[in-house]
Amino acid sequence: MKKRLVAVLCTMTMVLGMLSACGSKAENTGNDAADNTADDAAVEDAVEGAEEDVSAKTTFTVGFDAEFPPYGYLDENGEYVGFDLSLAQEVCRRQGWTYVAQPIDWDSKDMELSSGTIDCIWNGFTMNGREDEYTWTVPYVDNSQVFVVAEDSGITSQADLAGKVVAVQADSSALAALKDEAQADLLNSFGGLQEYADYNTAFMDLEAGAVDAVAMDIGVAEYQISQRDAKFVILSDYLATEQYGIGFKLGNEALRDTVQATLMEMVDDGTFMQIATEWGLEGSVCLGNEN
Amino acid sequence: MSLLTMVSQLGVAFVETLKIFCLTLLFSLPLGLIVSFGRMSKCAPLSWLTKLYISVMRGTPLMLQLIVVYFGPYYVFGQKITSSYRFTAVIIAFSINYAAYFAEIFRSGIESIPVGQHEAAKVLGYNKLQTFFHIIFPQMVKRVLPPVTNETITLVKDTSLAFAIAYAEMFKKAKEIAAAQSSVMALMVAGVFYYVFNLLVAWVMGRIEKSMSYYK
Repeated sequence: MKKRLVAVLCTMTMVLGMLSACGSKAENTGNDAADNTADDAAVEDAVEGAEEDVSAKTTFTVGFDAEFPPYGYLDENGEYVGFDLSLAQEVCRRQGWTYVAQPIDWDSKDMELSSGTIDCIWNGFTMNGREDEYTWTVPYVDNSQVFVVAEDSGITSQADLAGKVVAVQADSSALAALKDEAQADLLNSFGGLQEYADYNTAFMDLEAGAVDAVAMDIGVAEYQISQRDAKFVILSDYLATEQYGIGFKLGNEALRDTVQATLMEMVDDGTFMQIATEWGLEGSVCLGNEN
Repeated sequence: MSLLTMVSQLGVAFVETLKIFCLTLLFSLPLGLIVSFGRMSKCAPLSWLTKLYISVMRGTPLMLQLIVVYFGPYYVFGQKITSSYRFTAVIIAFSINYAAYFAEIFRSGIESIPVGQHEAAKVLGYNKLQTFFHIIFPQMVKRVLPPVTNETITLVKDTSLAFAIAYAEMFKKAKEIAAAQSSVMALMVAGVFYYVFNLLVAWVMGRIEKSMSYYK
């Protein structure tokens, strides 16, 4: 009886040991050269803290919400494209870094950034209200949070939103703007506030009539409206104006300075404006206008 | 985007879903058997420990377990993690979660074997280990096939939770295509992929059940 027990326990230990070894083997075969280099650099980072050794850097991982056109989304060929991604690719090209596009779950963006699985959050990332939480570059896009309503809804101003159901993306700056004290009256006038994981689902509900308005960024709103044959309008009463920047882990100033310097080079030689025009965002960018 | 392009892109992403599915089954089935032994063991601490494990794994959301397994090393131990750890974390979290469910299924199968089988085996001179592998285990497999099929089908659909730690499996791809195209077509196509694969799984399990019902 006792012998059996010992035998079973030994087998369990051996098998569990084998299984965990299998686990790490799977990870190793899944790694490619670029990731191995990032692993080495990451170990060094753990010693130095948030400040990164930029000269040792070989890859640049951009964390973004892949459902946020035109800043970052999936195109017809299955590639991740967008205004922010084009800028990031150009920066990487100039710095000799390998560009890695890493779509993330927007709700976990802070965990991804702190743990180092992404180098920055670069996709329509609003600075206002979050200034102390990240190390930011200078703003590069002027953005507004607007309300999108159905054309035939009869809503023409923020006052008309009283008693209506408004949709917003969870953890977004539209939500933060609505929860701000200055907007308390507006928020209280709503019939309800619905949070969504992504804007596509919110738009589906808007089309279906389950919500009456969606609060979101103007750039994305314009893209969605043009895609869906303009059955929607943007209220001229903007909710808030704000600016986009590139967010780095708080304290990671070396990397931020390098990326920002490269961006300014791109502004000086006109590449920045060129990329903005390609994406139809030349009216929203504010980086090129400081010259 | 044409339907064909959508199907081919989702098809490529479906391979990722299949990887999670196959590896999870590969690890969680044996682990479930081991955990069920621990649960039925006469050694009280072992039995209590496995009961705790099963209770935690079944009692907390899989999405939360994914986040804990992935970000845990950094937030708890200060160990830096990399993007390549995503896949490993997915497999670990799924395996330990499903092992808990399989453990209970296997336990119900083993305990439902009538005591007469054990007595007859003893009379015939089988020892404990021989009794289990030659007499009990084959009968247990027959009995647990329906609930195991249930869990397997649930696993196929649960793979969509891997997106909580940004692992690009098929459903996330479908959402990205839907957002870029501003239509729900991609989500419907993803639904069809899941359904067709589940039909295949159910059919395979049905064949296995049939081949094992040699007394009927």
